[in-house]
Amino acid sequence: MLPPGKLPATAREAHPTPSVTKRKRPYPAAGDTAQQSLSLQMPAAVRAELVQATIVHRLWLCAYLPSLPLEAIMGTSSTGPCAVTEDQQGLRRVLLANAEAAAAGISCGMSVNAALAFLPTLSLEERSPAREEEVLRALAARAERFTSFISIEMPAALLLEIAGSLRLFGGLGALRQAISDELQQLGFTAALAIAPTPLAATWLARAGQRVCIRDRKNLVGALSCLPLSCLDWPDAVTGSLQGMGITVVGDCLRLPREGFVRRFGAGSLLQLDRALGRLPDPRKCYRTAEVFCQEYELAEEQSDSELLLNACRKLLLELERFLLSRQLMVQRVRFSFFHLQLPATHLTVGCAQADRSIEHWYELLAIRFDRLVLPAAIIAIRLQGGRGQPLSASTGRLVFSRTGSQRREPLISHLVERLSARIGDESVHGIMAVAEHRPQHAWRAAKLFEQPLHCHASPLLAEPRRNSSLLLRRPLWMLPEPRPLGIEKGLPLYQGRLKLLGGPERLETGWWDDDGIARDYFVAANPAGMHLWIFRNRDRESGWYLHGMFG
Amino acid sequence: MSDVLEKLLQSPRLWRGRSPAEGTGWQGLSSGYPKLDRHLPGGGWPPHALTEILLEHYGTGELKLLMPALTRLSQTGDEDAAHAAGWIVWIAPPFEPYAPALAQWGMNLSRVLVVRPKRAAEALWAAEQALSSGNCAAVLLWSEQMDDVESRRLQLAAENGRSWAIAFRSVKALSRSSAAALRIRVSAGDKGTDLGILKSRGGRPAVIRDYASAPEQ
Repeated sequence: MLPPGKLPATAREAHPTPSVTKRKRPYPAAGDTAQQSLSLQMPAAVRAELVQATIVHRLWLCAYLPSLPLEAIMGTSSTGPCAVTEDQQGLRRVLLANAEAAAAGISCGMSVNAALAFLPTLSLEERSPAREEEVLRALAARAERFTSFISIEMPAALLLEIAGSLRLFGGLGALRQAISDELQQLGFTAALAIAPTPLAATWLARAGQRVCIRDRKNLVGALSCLPLSCLDWPDAVTGSLQGMGITVVGDCLRLPREGFVRRFGAGSLLQLDRALGRLPDPRKCYRTAEVFCQEYELAEEQSDSELLLNACRKLLLELERFLLSRQLMVQRVRFSFFHLQLPATHLTVGCAQADRSIEHWYELLAIRFDRLVLPAAIIAIRLQGGRGQPLSASTGRLVFSRTGSQRREPLISHLVERLSARIGDESVHGIMAVAEHRPQHAWRAAKLFEQPLHCHASPLLAEPRRNSSLLLRRPLWMLPEPRPLGIEKGLPLYQGRLKLLGGPERLETGWWDDDGIARDYFVAANPAGMHLWIFRNRDRESGWYLHGMFG
Repeated sequence: MSDVLEKLLQSPRLWRGRSPAEGTGWQGLSSGYPKLDRHLPGGGWPPHALTEILLEHYGTGELKLLMPALTRLSQTGDEDAAHAAGWIVWIAPPFEPYAPALAQWGMNLSRVLVVRPKRAAEALWAAEQALSSGNCAAVLLWSEQMDDVESRRLQLAAENGRSWAIAFRSVKALSRSSAAALRIRVSAGDKGTDLGILKSRGGRPAVIRDYASAPEQ
C-alpha cells in the first residue's frame, strides 16, 4: 500500500472525486488542498467550525448488552444450563450459552449436535430478534427516567445522551452507577462506555472498555487502540483491512482519505469521521407510547382475589413509574382480566380528578374488585391508562398559614370517587340551577368539579328574589315526573281534598323546542298540612297534576 | 385535672342532668327557629351527632325545618378554617331536591352532593363514608331500614368525622330504640307543623306547636 501523500497525481486525476467529499460541503475540494486531503486529518479551521456548529457539549453513554439474545429469551429466572442457537450457513450452532452450560464445556459456535453430546440436559432455544427488539424497547422505556434522549442502536445497544442529566443525578459516576444498577436489577449484563460522540461510545462499549471520555481531544487516543472487530463493519472490509496488516482503528486513521474511500467505500470513512466528532451524527430519539398499556401474565389460572389484586398492584406500580417519568396523571384506567375460554372481563376505574398516586388507584380498585363477578379463573391481566394530562402540582402551604379552605378540596374528590366506584358514576352528582322558566328545566344534575357554565342562574339574581315579598315560591321537593291527581267536585285530591292557597302562576314558554308548556301553577294544602305545588294545563282543561312539595 | 374535666364536659357523649345551655356545654347549631332553639340543649341542633326526624309522609315540612341551619353550613366563611364551607350530602332522597328553591333559601349549590344508591345497604355505607370523610358539614339520609346497630354506627361516624348526621325515618320506627342524640317527630298540627322532641341528649322531651311562628313572650 502507498504511504500518505505518495499517490501519483495522474492516478488522483483519473479517479473522480469521491461522492462523500462532494456531498459534505465542509470537505475541501480534491484539487486545491491536495496535501491535506490525502491524510485522514482535516484542516484545523474546517474542523473547528464543524465542532462549533454541530455537536457541542454532548455526552453519550452506550449500554451494550453482549448476552441480549440469551437474556431476552431466558428471562431473569433461568435455571439449569441453557443456550441460544442460530442458523449459521445452514447449520444450527450455539450462539450464546449461560454460565452453567459454559462450565460444562459448551462454547459459542459449537454445532447443536455436539453441544447435546456434551450435555444432554441442555435446553436449547432459537434466537428471536423480535423478542430482542421488544426487550430493547422496554429497556429504553425504563431508561427514560435518566434522560430525555434515548436512541436504540439496533443489534444490542442503547444510547443515552446524559450531558443534561449529570447535575440531577449527582455527577457522572453516580449516574453511571444508577444506570448500571438498574440494568443489573433487571437481569441484564451490560458494558457501559461514555464518550462525546455516539459512535465512539458504541465502539468503546462493544470493545468492553469501561471508559469515560469527556473531552473530545482524548477521543483519538482512546479509539486508536480499539480492534476493528468492534466497529461492526462488513466482513469483507474488515477482512481486507486485516489483510493489509491493519488491525486497530489507529492504523485506519493513518491511511489517506481518498484511497480509503476508493477501497472501502465512503460509508466507512463517514463512520470514522462521526466517531471522532468531525461530522455530526444525528440520532433518532426513541419515545415510548404516551398511553400506558402493560400486561401481567400469571403462571397459572388464578381466581384468588388477593393474588389477583397483588398482580394489579404491580401493574399500577409500573403505571406510576410511567406517569412519573412523563410528569403526567390519568383520570381513568382500565383493567382487562383474560380467561382461557371466555372473552375478557373489563373493569374501568375512574377518578373525579386525575391522579397518579398508586395508593389511591389501588383503593378504588379494591372497592370495585370486591363486587366484580368473574366468570372464570384468570390467566392474564392487562392495564391500560387513559389519556394523560399534564401533572398539576400545587404548592404546599406554610405551616402557620391560616387559610385552610383549599385544603378540603382534594378530600371531597376522594369521597366522591369512593362513592362512585361502589354505587356508579351516574348516581353521584351535584345540582345546578339553570336560568329557565320551565320548572323541569330550571335545574340539572351537575358533574362535580366541572367548570360552572354561563347559563346557570347567577347568585346575584337569586339574592333579590329571596328577600322580595313578591317571591315566587318554589318547592324544595320536585317530582321527577308530574303525577296526575284525582278530582272530586272539581277540586284535586291528594290524601284528601286540596285547598288552593295561592296562584295561579302562569308559565307559558318553551315554544322553541318540542317541550313547550302552558300551565297554571297553584300552591295547595291538603288536610294533613302538606303544602303542594300543583298545576293544570291551560290548553287542555283535563286535569290536575302534582309537581312538587314544599317539604 | 381541670383540663380533663373540661374535655369530658365538652364531649357530646356525656349526658348531663341540667341543660348545657346554662353551663359550659357544647354550642348547638342554631335552627333558625327561636321556638325550637329554646327547647334544644346548647341552643340548637346537636353538632357532630345523629339527629333523627320521624315523619308520616315525606314533604310535610321536614326540609323547611332544616333549611336555615343547612344553608348556613353550606356558605363559605373565608376568615377561618373552622368555618370553611362544608358539603351537604343528600343520600337517597325520595324526590329531586329542587335547585331553584334551594337557591332561594340561600343554599350554596356548589356544595350540594346528591347520592342515589341502588340498595338500602349502599345508602348506609355511603352515609358512613361521607360522615367520616371529615369534609361534609351535614349528611342527610333517607332510609326505611335502619336499626339500632346502624344508628349507632352513624352516630359514631358523625362524632369521628365531626359532621352532622340527619336521618329521616318513618313514624313506624317510633317504638324502636335508637342511638341518635336527638329524635324529633314532625306532624301536622291545627295551625302549622308541630314538633315532638322524643329524645334529646342533655335536654328534655317536649312538644312544640307551630314551631315556625314567633315565640310568645
